[in-house]
Parts: sequence; structure tokens; C-alpha cells
Amino acid sequence: MTDTEAGKGWLGRKLKRKEDYRLTTGKGNFIGDIQLPGMLHLVFVRSLHAHAKIVNIDTSAAEELKGVVAVIAGKQLAEEILLMPQPIVVPNIPANHPTFGPLAIGKVKFHGEPVAAIVARDKYVAEDAAELVMVDYEMLPYVGDMEAALAPDATRVHEQFDDNIQYESSLTGGEEIADQEANDVRVAKIFEEADLVVKRRYRCHRCGVTPMEPRGVVADWDHAEGLSAWITTQRPHIDRLALSDILSIPAEQVRVMAPRDQGGAFGTKAPFYREPILICHMARKLGRPVRWIESREEHLMSISQERDQIHDLEIAARSDGRILALRDRIIADGGDGCEGVYWGYLMPFLGAVLLPSGYDIPNCDIKLKVAFTNKAVLSPARSFGSYPARFAMERAMHTVARELGLEPTAVQRMNLVTEFPYTTATGFNYDSGNFIKVLDNLVEKIDLTGFRREQEEARKQGRYLGIGFGLGAEASGMASEVLVQMENQPGYGAAMVRVDPRGKVQVCDGDCSQGQGHETTVAQVVAHEMGISPDDVKHSQGDTDNTPFGCGTIGARAGSYKLSAVAQACRHIKEKMSRIAAHDFSVSAKPEDFDFIDGEIIYRKDTNIRTTFAELAYRIVMTPLDLPEGEEAGLEHTAYFEAAMPMICFAAHAAIVEVDATTGQFEIKRYMTSEDMGRVINPQIVDGQITGGVVQGISNCIFEEFVYDDTGQQLTSTLENYKLATAADVPHVEVTHAPTPCPYTPLGSRGIGEGVPGPVPGALSNAVTDALEPLGVEITELPLRPNVIWKLIQQNRQAAE
Amino acid sequence: MYKDVTITINGEEYQEHIPVRLLLVDFIRDVAGLTGTHVGCTYEGVCGACTIQIDSEAVKSCLMLAVQADGHEVATVEGLAQDGKLHPLQEEFNEHHALQCGYCTPGILMNAEEFLKENPDPSEDEIREALIGNLCRCTGYVNIVTAIKSAAEKMA
Ligand code: FES
Ligand code: FES
Repeated sequence: MTDTEAGKGWLGRKLKRKEDYRLTTGKGNFIGDIQLPGMLHLVFVRSLHAHAKIVNIDTSAAEELKGVVAVIAGKQLAEEILLMPQPIVVPNIPANHPTFGPLAIGKVKFHGEPVAAIVARDKYVAEDAAELVMVDYEMLPYVGDMEAALAPDATRVHEQFDDNIQYESSLTGGEEIADQEANDVRVAKIFEEADLVVKRRYRCHRCGVTPMEPRGVVADWDHAEGLSAWITTQRPHIDRLALSDILSIPAEQVRVMAPRDQGGAFGTKAPFYREPILICHMARKLGRPVRWIESREEHLMSISQERDQIHDLEIAARSDGRILALRDRIIADGGDGCEGVYWGYLMPFLGAVLLPSGYDIPNCDIKLKVAFTNKAVLSPARSFGSYPARFAMERAMHTVARELGLEPTAVQRMNLVTEFPYTTATGFNYDSGNFIKVLDNLVEKIDLTGFRREQEEARKQGRYLGIGFGLGAEASGMASEVLVQMENQPGYGAAMVRVDPRGKVQVCDGDCSQGQGHETTVAQVVAHEMGISPDDVKHSQGDTDNTPFGCGTIGARAGSYKLSAVAQACRHIKEKMSRIAAHDFSVSAKPEDFDFIDGEIIYRKDTNIRTTFAELAYRIVMTPLDLPEGEEAGLEHTAYFEAAMPMICFAAHAAIVEVDATTGQFEIKRYMTSEDMGRVINPQIVDGQITGGVVQGISNCIFEEFVYDDTGQQLTSTLENYKLATAADVPHVEVTHAPTPCPYTPLGSRGIGEGVPGPVPGALSNAVTDALEPLGVEITELPLRPNVIWKLIQQNRQAAE
Repeated sequence: MYKDVTITINGEEYQEHIPVRLLLVDFIRDVAGLTGTHVGCTYEGVCGACTIQIDSEAVKSCLMLAVQADGHEVATVEGLAQDGKLHPLQEEFNEHHALQCGYCTPGILMNAEEFLKENPDPSEDEIREALIGNLCRCTGYVNIVTAIKSAAEKMA
């Protein structure tokens, strides 16, 4: 479809966001802004130890404090509600899903696990009371090293299982063990015969994408209506079903609402967490509204920890740079694994699936093991599971190139997938795209040739400049075909579109945004389809009482799935309006004979035959007389969009750095991306997703790290020591485009955003490695910090001497 | 322990009887009901989401007790638009897509408003330096810097 066919230029336009007025004037409506009369405050008492038996919990002093309404601990709670896992939030993947409740029962498994909770009239009092809860612990050995944890005789994190292996599988070679073994033998043979084999251990540290707004829940109970809960969430509909199951409340009596505004999520608000279960239960038990607002410390202790993976990765290559085979043994530290939907292992699982990341490597042998440890569960962060995988893969590609004396981009380019659709050796589908165009665009815009000259000059002066590239394919949402297995839920996009009697359009959407600007992009799509102004579109989201089932705002789904459903629903309604217009004007016209432009509906063959969108809407909704035979009144349609082919978007990043070889400090002099986001709905919003994702990737790569000491004490639970990049720490990110419209969506759009941080660690660490090539330094571990770089320089100098 | 205070917020006087340990940010949000001022790091003074102005100087309201603001003039994001007209910073933040979730935005606006008074013609580096007390997780700062620069030009 072209712009002239429908609503005149609303697509691809920098429409200013509809959300911004309220958010810049202090009128946002976040979870912390919700006040209900008589609302009580809940505060958790969290474990001081990583692994310990709970001998006794004395809550008497806390209970006596004036203003305290209730105190509860794990054992008592386990008598009042069911425990996890509940099937609705368990993937259809063979793995160990531990039993747990919102409050620890019997023992604690990580520093920061909730053991008790206080409900009080005032939040200051609740915190005072939390201090008065006395917990006696008996220490158990701390299981903190993922490799040691996998040993058969290791102390067990969960007594219910025989060992600490939560998940173990081959991602290649098919379902049957015999087939996998045959595949491994075949791959091994290629390795034996290859011109070059590169083998390295790549280590990615524990870090994630903590949003600026922590989590929160406000729950209210009504005897007749049941539970109403506002939750910071990316998937209210799943929360509703899960709460219904675990609290044994009939689903029709559970209403979950995402607050209209949420302060970022990036994956952290996607799981079904333990805390909302307790808040909702206490609201029901006490018959009063209860609120919990997570503190930053709680947040950093218990969620947003991701990426903790080790890759023993090998590449077999031909002397011209063609990759012949890929082998990887991946281990991930899944923490205690207690988290609905993701259970710690789902991120590394997907990371392993996405490992080939845009390259055509039919021969792969990839195996993954996920260990239980006494750390907080791995939980989703943007570039879900694949940030470490991309780091390992892109570092290895660079190394292959340099061992062969080739330019890394030449090797990357030679191995990119060029024919679509394509299925990776791990079974992941690429629908379409032009990967080479994306890379070539970047190589040209960053001026690789010019840079190499500059680098040579600089080297003569003893300056270390380097360039690095990181590429990869990101999933633009996932179809039911993938998500039913992976997350036990569908993947379609859904939207209910309703035209009101005044010709205004309401879109009801079961997902919810956390800053992605869906109110604006949804309005643009409706405006485009219906030929009306985006100002006449209202987007309501996140309320399970009045929206179609939404799969969640996860994995860059909006651009591909949600907006496609919106477009489909609009087209359905337009057809009906066209049929009735044809009837009213007594012309025998097909629906496509009417143009919807500038608030009017015009008969193409005779443009004098026209009516306004609002008039026709009024006529159909309010005066449903003399309708064509078989036509119903009303203008409303709910559409479900399921992709014919799972969609992806491809990106390439480049970083230019200068390293000070005397200190190991480095400066990012330039950072540029090249993206295929298909047909763009709103370029400003897309670019914003990219600059934001890149800086998250940089911040993860250089600054952020969750650190546990050797007793399992988490040392980084404040933003003082879990450092996020500030404006002064990061470069101006340059975004360039090399789009290929997606043939499988009605608008040609592709969802983008989720995977943006993915190529960053490859680009940055390749750049540093490139800069220090004369000194023989090779980066294999993250975070990428000056002290590590300095040490590597020293080691290589010593070795050289 | 309680104390009587008189705190003026955006020109409106609040006379309240409050616990002495009440944080200023909680006074603004819970007592005055002005929820545009946010809490991002839970009173560590790191994130800047709670930035307001006291007597025209930008401060983090989680690092102060409400009683310390007794007798002072507080300005919050709700007071930035005057007579229904948006401040140039608010307009340029919209124009240049300088916010996504908007959680950090009020604090950044209150900081930037003071900054531009002191430095009406800042360079990109100066703007980045001025923002180190405000974390934004969504935008990567690029558009925030552009918006502040552009607001400075509009205000010149
Ligand atoms: S809440 Fe005040 S600086 Fe973060
Ligand atoms: S816009 Fe979300 S934290 Fe800044």
C-alpha cells in the first residue's frame, strides 16, 4: 500500500508524541501515584544471607508496633495460597521449575529473598516494623560458582532436585539424542579438516537493564467484584490468569491494570513475580487496599540481573574467511531459578538459539547448561539472553578475520545470510531482509577506508585507535509458533478498534507501554488507514476488563504484531463503511472503490459522491435503518494478527575508540548504527529506541556489574555502586537506516527495539582489540574496564619481553 | 515527633503538621499531592528523578527533610508551565523526543531550567556535564541534549 491510497502521510512521519504533554507537566499516572482511600503499605523483610536455613521468625515486636495491621511469614502464607509453579507461567520446555512461594519457606536461597512482610497504615511505620522482625538463620554453604554448582556432589540449591542442573540440552541436531550425536560427529569432522580453528572462552558478566521506575503493585478487594490490581507489568493478561490460579480466585473476578504510565521496563516487568501474589493476597485477606512500591535496593537485589554466561566457543573457517562450522558449550548462572514465565533459564536458552545471529552457518553444535546458584534469578533484560551470545560470536568473527589477515567486516559480510526465508541450525527463522545492505551502509557511512588510513597515521605517533563492528538479527516479536513452546502463551497481536458515533476512533489494546510511545504510533496507523487525524484516535491499554487478550509488550512486538492488528481491524471496519456507503449512494462499488482521505470517504469513480467519516459513522452506529441486507449495526472489530513467517530486523553497529595504553582508559570517539526496521511508522520513535538501547548496551558493557562476594552477599544494590551511564559518560550515538520493508506485515513494518543492545559488546570490544592489536591484546571478558585492559597490556608486554 | 511547617510550592502555601522525619519528596508527593516529582533510587540521591528547586536552586528532594524546607519556596515540574503556556524546555522535549517513559523527565526539566539560567548558551559537553545528576534509562541522552540546546536557543 502506498501513502496515497489511505491516510496521507501519517506513516513515516515524525509526529510529536501524544504522551508528552502529561509527562512533561507532571501529570503522568505511574504506579506510585495511585492512591486509594484507606490504602495500606506493605514492606518486605528480606534475607540477609545467600543460603541459610530459617530456624525461627519472631514477628511479635513488629506486630505490637502501633499502626501495623498485619505481619506474615512464609510458612503461614503457604497454608493460605497455592505455590508456584502454576502451569500458566511454565514454558513447554523440559527443565526443572522449582517450587516456591512469595515468602521463603524453610530456607533462603539468595541474599534479598523475601522472608516476611509487614502491612501498616503508614510506609514509615511499616519500615520500622520490618526492622523489628527477628529471623534466626543457620548458615548453609553458598553455591556461587556456576561451573562448580554443576558438579554432581555440589551443595544443592533446591533439595527437590538431584543436582543443580536446571536445564541442559542441545540446541542443534534435532530432537532425538541419536540425531544430535550424529550432528556432533559431523561437525567435529569439519573442525578436524578446517584451515583454521579459533577457540576461546568468552565470559559475560551479570548485568541488566534496570528501569528508572522500580516495580509496584496496588491491590484492592471487593467482596462481589473480586480483585482489582494495578501492577507494573508488560503483560497484564498473563498476570491475571496467573493470579487467578495461584490465589484460587475465578478469572472473571480478577482484573489487572497496567498503570497508564510506566517508567521503563526493558524486560524487567515481563515475568510473573512473587511479590504481586502477596500484595493481592493481603488485599483480599484484609479486605483493604494494599500497596507495595519496590525500593531501588530491593530491585537491584532481586531482579534485573541478566547476561551471566560463559561461552566456550569454536569456529572452523576456510582460509578465505568462509565459516564452515560453529561449536559452543554455554553455561549460564540462572540464580535460584524462581520466577514465573522465565525461570532463569529462558534467557540463555533464547540466546543460544540466536547465537548464529545473521550468519549462514548450517553446521552448528551448540549445547547449553543452566545452573542453579544462590543468587537472584536471572531475569529478562533487553537483548534477552543474546547479549552475551552476540558478544561471543562477534568477538570470534573478528578473531577469525585477524588470524587470516582479513578485514573483519569482509569476513562478516561473506558469511551473512542472503537468501530468505532462512532457518538457522538452531531452528530460528529469518523472514526477509537485506543484511549486506545494512552492513555496507555502515561501512560506507563510518568510512572504514578513511579510518584505516587515520589509524595507521595515529599508530606512527604511538596512538591507539581502533574500530569494531557488531552485527546481528533481532526477533521482531515472536509468533505463536515460538511463544507457545517458549512461554506457554500465544504470540499474535490483538487490537479492538471501535468507531464512535462522532467518528472518533478508540483502540483497546491488551498490552501496555512503558515508554515506547504506543499511543502515538497506534494513532498514526489508525490515521493512515482511516484517513482521519491522529488527534481523533484514543488508545486505551493494559486493562484486562476491556481489552482483548494481549500477549504482552515484549520482544519488539508492537511494530510487527500490534500495529499490524490495528491496521487489520481498521481495514475490516473500512470495508463495512464502504459497503454501507455504496448502498446509501446506490452505486455498485467494491470496498476498494472508496478512498478514506482527510476525514472524508470519497467514491473514486465519481468524486462528487462523498460523505464525511463522522457522518457515516453516525449513520451506521446511531441510525441503523435501511442497512444493506445482512449488515449489522455498529462499527467495531477485534483483529488478531499472526505472522505467516516469524519476523526479524537486522542491525550493524560500529564503534571507534582510542585507548590510552598507559592507563587502559578508552574513549568512544564515534558510535554509529545501521538498521533495517522495515517500513518506519515514526522515525523519531524508532531512532529513540536505538539511541536508548545502544547506551544501555554501552552502560552494561563498561559500567554495570552485579557483584557477589564469596559468601553470596550482593554488594551492588544501590545505584551508587551499580553504576549506570550518565550523559557525560557516553557519546552522541549516530543512527543510520538501510530499510527493507517486511512482506509479511500489512504495513511493511518490523518491530525493533528489544535487541538493540545486542551488537554493542561486540562492536566495543572489537574496537578495543583492534586498537591494541599492535600490543597483542585480545578482549574475551566483560565488563570492559580500564583496569582489565591495562592488565592485558602489561601481560602482553611481559610475554613479549 | 511532629512539627508545624509552612512550605510554599509553586506559589501555593501549605501549612501542615508533619512528622519531622518526613522526607521533602514525600511531602511534595503525598501531602501536597504533586506526583510529578518522582522517586527512582529510593532516596540515595543518585538518580535525580526527584529534582525540584528550592528558592530557585535545583536540589534532590529525597535528600532533604520536609522540615528543612519550612519557610522556603519550592518549585516542582507542575509549576513550570505558566498560565497554560508550556516552558520552552517542555516544548523542545516534545519536539525532539527527549523522553520515552517520562519518569526521569520532571527532574531533568527542573535541573535544566536552573542550568540554562546560569548558562544560557551551553555547549553539548557542558549540557552533558550538567546532566550527571540525572539518570535516564530510556533515551541514551542524545535527544535530551538536543532538546536542552534547542530550548536555550529559543530562550535567547
Ligand atoms: S530519588 Fe532522589 S535522587 Fe533518586
Ligand atoms: S525517559 Fe525513561 S528514564 Fe528517561
